[in-house]
Amino acid sequence: MTNPIILIARKESGELLLSGRGITWLLALSIVMSVLSLLLVSNTELSLLDNASVVYMVMGTVTALGSLLAVVLGTDAIAGERERGSLWPLLLAPVTPSQIVLGKMGGQTAGWIVMYLLSLPYVWAVGSSGQNLAQAVIYLALFATPVVLGFGFFCIGLSARVHHVRTALLTGLITLMLLASPLLLGPSLRQSGIGKLFDAVNPFSAALNTFDSVVIDSQTLAVQSSRLVVTLVWLVTTALFAMRSMRKIKI
Amino acid sequence: MLIEIQGLKLDLDGKSVLRDVNLTMEKGQIYGLLGPNGAGKSSNISLITGLRQPTAGLIRVLGLDPAKESLGLHRRIGVLAEQAGFYDWMAAVAYMHWFARLYGIQLSAKEISLALDQVGLDAGNQSAISSYSRGMLQRLGLARALLHRPELLILDEPTNGLDPRGRRDIHDVLLDLANNHNVGILLCTHLLDDVDRLCSRIGIIAQGHTVLEGSLADLLGIRAAAQRYRLRVTANAVPAILPSEITLLSQSGNWWHVEIAGNARPEEAWRVLFDTDFPVEEIHREGGGLEDLYLSVTQVDREAK
Repeated sequence: MTNPIILIARKESGELLLSGRGITWLLALSIVMSVLSLLLVSNTELSLLDNASVVYMVMGTVTALGSLLAVVLGTDAIAGERERGSLWPLLLAPVTPSQIVLGKMGGQTAGWIVMYLLSLPYVWAVGSSGQNLAQAVIYLALFATPVVLGFGFFCIGLSARVHHVRTALLTGLITLMLLASPLLLGPSLRQSGIGKLFDAVNPFSAALNTFDSVVIDSQTLAVQSSRLVVTLVWLVTTALFAMRSMRKIKI
Repeated sequence: MLIEIQGLKLDLDGKSVLRDVNLTMEKGQIYGLLGPNGAGKSSNISLITGLRQPTAGLIRVLGLDPAKESLGLHRRIGVLAEQAGFYDWMAAVAYMHWFARLYGIQLSAKEISLALDQVGLDAGNQSAISSYSRGMLQRLGLARALLHRPELLILDEPTNGLDPRGRRDIHDVLLDLANNHNVGILLCTHLLDDVDRLCSRIGIIAQGHTVLEGSLADLLGIRAAAQRYRLRVTANAVPAILPSEITLLSQSGNWWHVEIAGNARPEEAWRVLFDTDFPVEEIHREGGGLEDLYLSVTQVDREAK
């Protein structure tokens, strides 16, 4: 007998890889990555950007696009099923709410793995001529994974608590933009007290600052431990939020 | 007893959704749960299936408390909700396999084929569920609800979107389940023809409470004692001047739906009516069937509200 968590996770992954909606998303992400990589490689060839900066930019973009995909998949996980009428049969099957949410989280994880694998050729394309390709691949897996999955789990929780996909999607996107806002802040603002505090607790900043430190400044993992803790706290907190939300699911 | 509900009450967001709902249902019975839109039928189903907890009252389904023993209950009931949703990128056979495994059942291709065939779907159809018509989706929903051989089947508008032959096919499946396999069926529908053909017992919910419950034969027998008519009146007719023997049930334009009290003789009632020069142009006798029963009890409740 297959565990329901695995069955639901398989179904979620299948939806991403086999449904028109999922394939369209993956195709769109590939196109964005192709265009970005082409521009960055051209800039490197023209000596406008050094190789390390280009790799850093690709890592940041993969994290941002992965988070965006996680927000879309997460908000659709419960609220989307509710709107399409497929949530009732799932809730009326002999499966606990915790198993459903763990299965959905499994689907999110599979989605991120696909996205990560999809990004590797692009990381290779821009980083193969430099010294930091291996770090890029490892640190992307280590730091982007909790950030991206955290967004997905947060949105699963949101979608269990609200009636409509639109509400959950809007809230998820606003949260993503808020946490990604350090990218838009100028250096002086980031050096202010509030900017530093925001950077210290923001999982998105933690991942990007790590990429910067490791790829551009060639620092070691030991220096990044506090940032790793921030991303892991984000992952655990959002996972607990999703589990708790499922118990208060709106039907 | 399959379902026993007494004095059920449900409040949601501070609003009373259900108050004093009563329902009793035995094995092998087809029970028709009727009521106008928004009467509380879907809320009632969510309580019976354990998706919500009641505010007050007793509810036992298959001897279990749905709110506390929902997992055990879900193994033994099959539900077709009004909005039957599927993973529309899958083919029906793959979907049925996936769903069966969710119940811990490993079905062979032949068993899936039989399950689909039972509701008139072709197991050889490999197209995605997204290409299915409304009627095909209803059939697939019924096949899904029957997949694990439930003791109790809860169906919300199961014949919606079906053509007359499709409806008859589904009727035959339901009658076979109830008569030959002792499956209890709780049928929520607006189609009184379905109830007339299938149900042995009915309950009518209006404004969140049970206004009538009992065996269909008994209830129609009681109603046969009353006498209902349709009157065509002129525009200046006023309900207040109707004789006391005649009760106005509803009106639609110039057509009035009235009832003559069981102890009064119709010819006497008409004589009083004509003596008062009541502006009536036509009088038609009504059948006194389920539709009249439904309309009269829901109308009375609406007026009382």
